[in-house]
Amino acid sequence: MGDLATIEAEAVQAVDLASDTAALRELEIKYLGKNGLVTGLMKGIGALPPEERPAFGAKVNEAKARLQTHIDDKATTLKSAERLVQFREEAVDITLPGRPPRIGQEHILNQTVRKIKRVLGSLGFVYAEGPELEQFKYNFDELNYPPDHPAMDAQDTFYVTDDLILRTQGTALQGRIYETVKPPLRYFTVARTFRNEAVDRTHGHTFHQVDCFMVDEGISMAHLKGTLGAFASAMFGDEAKVRFRPDFFPFVEPGVDYAVSTPKLFGGRWVELGGAGMIHPNILERHGIDTERFTGFAFGLGVERIPMMAHGVDDLRHFMDNDLRFLEQFP
Amino acid sequence: MKFTESMLRDWVETKLTAQEIGDLLTMTGFELEEITEVEGEPVLDVNIMSNRGDGASVMGMAREVLAKDPSAQPTDLYRRAAERFPMADAADTSVWSRAHVTIESPLCNRFACRVFDGVVNGPSPDWVQERLRKIGQRPVSLLVDLTNYVMFETGQPLHAYDMAKLGDTIVVREAREGETLVTLDEKEHNLSPGQLMICDATRPVGVAGVMGGLDTEVDSLTTTCLLESANFNNSSVRKTRKDLGFFTEASFRFERHVDPDGVVAALNRFAELLVAAGGPAPVAGVADVYPRPPQANTVRLRIDRVDKILGLTVEPSAAASYLAKLGFGVEQTGPREFLVTTPSWRIDIEREDDLVEEVGRVHGYELIPEALPIGSTPLGGTHGADFAIDKLAEALVRCGLTEVVNHSLRDEHSLDGTGDRVKVRNPHSPEIALLRNSLLPGLVETSARNNHADLRFFEVGRVFNGDRESTSLGVLMVGAAEKPHWQGTDQRQADFFAMKGIVEAAFAHIGASIQLAQADDKRLHPSRSASVTVNGQIVGVFGQVHPDAAEASGLPPSAVLAEFDLGFLEEFKPADRPLKTFSRNPAMRRDISMVFDKSVSYAAMSQAIGQAGGPLLEKHWLFDVYAGKGIEPGFHSLSFALQFRKVGANLTDEEGNQARDSVVAALASLGGTAR
Repeated sequence: MGDLATIEAEAVQAVDLASDTAALRELEIKYLGKNGLVTGLMKGIGALPPEERPAFGAKVNEAKARLQTHIDDKATTLKSAERLVQFREEAVDITLPGRPPRIGQEHILNQTVRKIKRVLGSLGFVYAEGPELEQFKYNFDELNYPPDHPAMDAQDTFYVTDDLILRTQGTALQGRIYETVKPPLRYFTVARTFRNEAVDRTHGHTFHQVDCFMVDEGISMAHLKGTLGAFASAMFGDEAKVRFRPDFFPFVEPGVDYAVSTPKLFGGRWVELGGAGMIHPNILERHGIDTERFTGFAFGLGVERIPMMAHGVDDLRHFMDNDLRFLEQFP
Repeated sequence: MKFTESMLRDWVETKLTAQEIGDLLTMTGFELEEITEVEGEPVLDVNIMSNRGDGASVMGMAREVLAKDPSAQPTDLYRRAAERFPMADAADTSVWSRAHVTIESPLCNRFACRVFDGVVNGPSPDWVQERLRKIGQRPVSLLVDLTNYVMFETGQPLHAYDMAKLGDTIVVREAREGETLVTLDEKEHNLSPGQLMICDATRPVGVAGVMGGLDTEVDSLTTTCLLESANFNNSSVRKTRKDLGFFTEASFRFERHVDPDGVVAALNRFAELLVAAGGPAPVAGVADVYPRPPQANTVRLRIDRVDKILGLTVEPSAAASYLAKLGFGVEQTGPREFLVTTPSWRIDIEREDDLVEEVGRVHGYELIPEALPIGSTPLGGTHGADFAIDKLAEALVRCGLTEVVNHSLRDEHSLDGTGDRVKVRNPHSPEIALLRNSLLPGLVETSARNNHADLRFFEVGRVFNGDRESTSLGVLMVGAAEKPHWQGTDQRQADFFAMKGIVEAAFAHIGASIQLAQADDKRLHPSRSASVTVNGQIVGVFGQVHPDAAEASGLPPSAVLAEFDLGFLEEFKPADRPLKTFSRNPAMRRDISMVFDKSVSYAAMSQAIGQAGGPLLEKHWLFDVYAGKGIEPGFHSLSFALQFRKVGANLTDEEGNQARDSVVAALASLGGTAR
């Protein structure tokens, strides 16, 4: 059995010389382990006179504590040096390309549609759909079009039969709703619509429309303007403002064109978005709705117009060409 | 319609600039298209609403400015026009001996004419030529230019005939079978009954309301002229000009309505301009046949209705003044009520709400406040099938698929469905002559557009089979799952099982449980395709493209396709999903490998494993399939992981081994041998 002071001095020297954490760990076991040299001194305590035993035990414990602290300090120093080496070895070029996950994505038109559904849904409008292949009467007669009126010139129509056409406007849903639902009512739809037009940058034979309408007691153009204001704010930002100018659509009276302006788009210029107005009393009366009690409004707009405005898309054909170089720009 | 600034200022005095006038007209409903500077003068081009024929005239534009601009005053010309350009010879009947007019068809509302002797049909005055040029019209001759000029001023189309060629008889009647007419544009037309014609004693000399005939036209030798001013049935003009392939300034106006009470006024305006240009005064009197002058329409207007519809407050006196300025007769019948008589040029005004619009647009829509709707609010948004469809699309996006939007109108394709095709009667091109009966052709074209290179597409859209229109979901996958990367990525090619995994995930997302069976679809590989059944109803198919279809369509033969008819979602209710409790004790895994004849289906093995594993078997999965060296041809080795777990206690090794042995025994009874 060696002398405590000698052992401790030896241990301190060995710890000071340890070159890595593994060697240090070995020294820790050698001196402070269960059968270590310092711990082992306690075994000799039985040979001492009883009055010396407490003092000896205390001295050994103090030495153990000092040595432990010394080892821990040394471990900290060695470990940080080793980490430095590790980090240098494990260095990556952070400019190398990341591994691309396979991300599915919504088509830009449907991103817009889903936003519209959220906004109008939260304003209490119920979503419904009608057929693309629509009866002539829902597309025109039920919407108060006089037979063969010049108003139809803007609605060049694809015919399947005399009575069956590809709908030219999402508004065609209105008559179908009135047949099954009594007011008060609030509905909207997103409709694929068709016009028999030659295709170029700004004209397509197929495009999409939102149509939204409600009938209740005491509904006025102020409610139409307020709803469009809320809709425009949600779609284009809080600063969006709405303007009406008179226009003619057979299914509304008064009829307006509404324009939106926001400092973020086109330098605040008014941009016409669609038609709107108070639902024509002829339409309500056709469905037995008391026009003294109930009034309603309707508005429509082209879905494509929104991303065209927001992203400066200058060719309508992009939307249905499905070129990934286009689609992937709108993740 | 185009007009010069000076043309308008002839009719109305206003402090507004040309641009301000254009902006004001926009806010009355006549949208300014553009202002261009022509020969130093602003020319305004405005849109005429299809129910406002009265707007297709400088007079009509002046009327709108007068109603909306408080600084505007009518000029003497406007006042005389409002009086219908009265002439002293109104009661004189001399002209009747020179022109014999008969109307034989109810499609003609009115026909009037004046006769001018001693005409010299040289060029028109410089100021007339200049104004016509500025609005894009080619000056022709004195008579022709004045007819055009008066039409642009008053909205009433006029036509000048050379009486030496015409004779003295005018009959307005429908064309007879076999009649022909060469019009001013030198085109010959075969006429049919129902088409209204201006005729002389024997033959048509003009298409009523559309264009005159070539061989009665005025020319430099004309000395006697008959000037027509008439009014025809709007839809008759529209139908005839469409049938004959015309679009003229006259027909544009008649289709939209021309004031029948302005017929004589236009003749008189022409006469005064002709005299002013050094021409002769007309033969006294107007030969005017007006069988059924229309009744003026009277409409009750309540200011309460105005306020209720517009959502603001309009003073009764203000409303009355707006209407009066627009030419309405206004009689107050109560403190907040009027009886309003509509002018002859405003057939669009039929009922009270039409008057509300008149009051509103003059008052100014910018004064309408914004308010959110009152009343009962339903539960908004998408519900039922629409909600489930959106959810299905969301699942596919989560699976890494890109959504595309293809056309409903298309031509035939080798991947069309089998349903009856719906044909469009009047497509402008054969490429859009049919409605799609499947989404797959569009998806194949989308794939081609993107070079068939490592693609995952889906589309939700309508398809048309006979008289059934339904919403369909189509999926196309081809090539590697992930983009190449320097570290290496999942480069496995899309195949039947990649599609199967997505189909299972998507249907699980909407809570639909599906059963698969062998598919029967000529577009799919017969032994690598499956049908999908929900609630006992086949809702679609998926699988690898049929090699013949791949050849015909240019699609790579490894591509996989799926198409589902989502009609089932109309009635679909997702199954309840009560929480399954799970054990907090540790699991134990046992792996087994067994060799099977390839004819034994995985489904049979999986079912046997489930039964034999009993309640201790938490789950099992297939982690390897091997065929080749060491395995007899026709056989393969399948490796299953079995995961056992007990609720409330830890499993012992013996319990795990025992359960595994039961599974092995069950598989052996299917013909499996331990490897």
